[in-house]
Amino acid sequence: MTRRNVILRIENVSKRFESLRAVDDVSLAVPEGHIVGLIGPNGSGKSTLLNVTSGVLRADAGRIIFDGQDIVHRSADEIFQLGLARSFQDPSLFFRMTVLDNILLPIKEQDGEDPIRAPLHRTWEKQEARFATVAAGALQRLDLDTHFDSLASDLSGGQMKLLELGRSLTSAPKMLLLDEPTAGIAPNLARNIFEQIEHLRRTRGLTFLIVEHRLGLLFDFVDQVYVMHLGRLIAHGPPADIAANAKVREIYFGE
Amino acid sequence: MNIDFTATAIALTTFFGISALMALSLNLEYGVAGIPNFGQALFVSIGAYTAGWTYTRLLPLLAGQEILNPCGATLMEALQLRTAIMRQLPAVGLLNFAITLVVAALLGGIVGYLASYPALRLKREWYLALVLLVGSEIVRIIVRGYEPIICAHNGLSGIAQPFAWVSDSTQASILFAGLVLILAAAAYVYCERLVRSPYGRLLKAVRENDRMALSLGKRVPRIRAQVMFIGSAIAGVAGVLFVTNVGFASANDYVVALTLDVWVMVVLGGLGNNRGALLGALIVTILDRVTAIAAIQLDAFGANIEFNYVRFILFGVILLLMLRFRPQGLLPEPPQTTKAHEALHVGETCKLGTKSRQT
Repeated sequence: MTRRNVILRIENVSKRFESLRAVDDVSLAVPEGHIVGLIGPNGSGKSTLLNVTSGVLRADAGRIIFDGQDIVHRSADEIFQLGLARSFQDPSLFFRMTVLDNILLPIKEQDGEDPIRAPLHRTWEKQEARFATVAAGALQRLDLDTHFDSLASDLSGGQMKLLELGRSLTSAPKMLLLDEPTAGIAPNLARNIFEQIEHLRRTRGLTFLIVEHRLGLLFDFVDQVYVMHLGRLIAHGPPADIAANAKVREIYFGE
Repeated sequence: MNIDFTATAIALTTFFGISALMALSLNLEYGVAGIPNFGQALFVSIGAYTAGWTYTRLLPLLAGQEILNPCGATLMEALQLRTAIMRQLPAVGLLNFAITLVVAALLGGIVGYLASYPALRLKREWYLALVLLVGSEIVRIIVRGYEPIICAHNGLSGIAQPFAWVSDSTQASILFAGLVLILAAAAYVYCERLVRSPYGRLLKAVRENDRMALSLGKRVPRIRAQVMFIGSAIAGVAGVLFVTNVGFASANDYVVALTLDVWVMVVLGGLGNNRGALLGALIVTILDRVTAIAAIQLDAFGANIEFNYVRFILFGVILLLMLRFRPQGLLPEPPQTTKAHEALHVGETCKLGTKSRQT
């Protein structure tokens, strides 16, 4: 086995909301090119940890090293620019915008996003057409190509999740934080989403940290799993070990 | 009962063009970018105050005359001087007007940009609405009490329109109406091209979900500040046209009611749609003129009601009905932004052949 570089390292991170310790001294490491699961019952602090990592919330203590840089005090847009993208728990698309606009938006360094050049269509139209071709390819892989013109609000729940995944890719990130990528969608579509994730890891070498409640599905795809409970990490290991871990079974399944 | 139809049509056209500029400005800020600017009257008034300043200081300077205090003992003299310059020296008048437009746009833009900085850091965007609403009133009250700007509560007359040198007054007003329409058309084309670009896409995204836009690497506070600059610059231009159209600068013209009129235009026409902004401006202008004429006529007949207030009731009712029954406005926002959509349409028909598109 080759040792891989750790792309994301979270060291002793804490975040409290008044008296509640939402994340309490959590440390974890995600090796490059791995799919890592983060599980735990509701309210265990998983989403807060993702929010702190992606800069949506600010950590009270600890360090977060992404791709060699300390990002704990960076803002969400800076962290995104460094190549760490994320999705949210609820389908968080720009609903009153088309599917194509949703997927084009995150592309970095668009000439037409400059307010001075924007009205001069000639200065960016070629670049935009190139981006649109790339986006059309991405939409085709996600089976959304016939919907490029629809408003995002007109998609089904599963399609929204796929679009969200596709949207986080157009910016060419190094790593994705996914918050319940299959929440609220049909089981066969859920597997489809994980297959897309696996495909992306294989073809692009992307790294994933995924919060997910469908453990059976998650365990089929991840390399390792971290388990949180009441803000703390309580277990860490390959999925087979976690599935057999007595402590995890107790807090998770009430056994 | 006699109404001069030519004069009414010219006045209507001029008012429409000025309203259109204000509506386009608010549509860009709120309709497209989601910034609830309830200080529209402030940014319009900046144009008026700029004109107040250039007509009393810059204009005599350009004409090689002495600058007189427009408010104190030399009030009449200063008024006669600027009126004479505007009537007799077309080149000076037009140059002064052009400079006024540029300065008002820049000044409006800068104030909008600066206002956005502390205000947009407020947690809820509707706090910004209140800050701007109150800020606009505070500035108005200060101007009413501070003589150097437009002679405090006395106001400033003789802010002639740039074609005052044309001897036939009907022709002069036709020329001015034409200029207003050209500026409104230019603003429309500019806004339309801005919205139908990746920048427009960015603005919509900030409107739809600012937190998510930030998470996708977009610098939301800066984008909002830019939009406030552009929108307020357009409002400043509208202010110059407004004040030169009435010929009199008074802080009392830039009350909250003006802001609300512009909101009615945009909500009525359709948020996020520039054509909707134009349509809303047209309808509101017509209703405004009709109620104004009706008020004058009723007054002439000796009716004992203040018909002017009817328009406030009317606009309030329109606003409520629209919000209740057609919140997207008469002309809803077009879903597509850039031409990339059309390009894919063409590509798709080639690729998929006869397969029909379904929604």
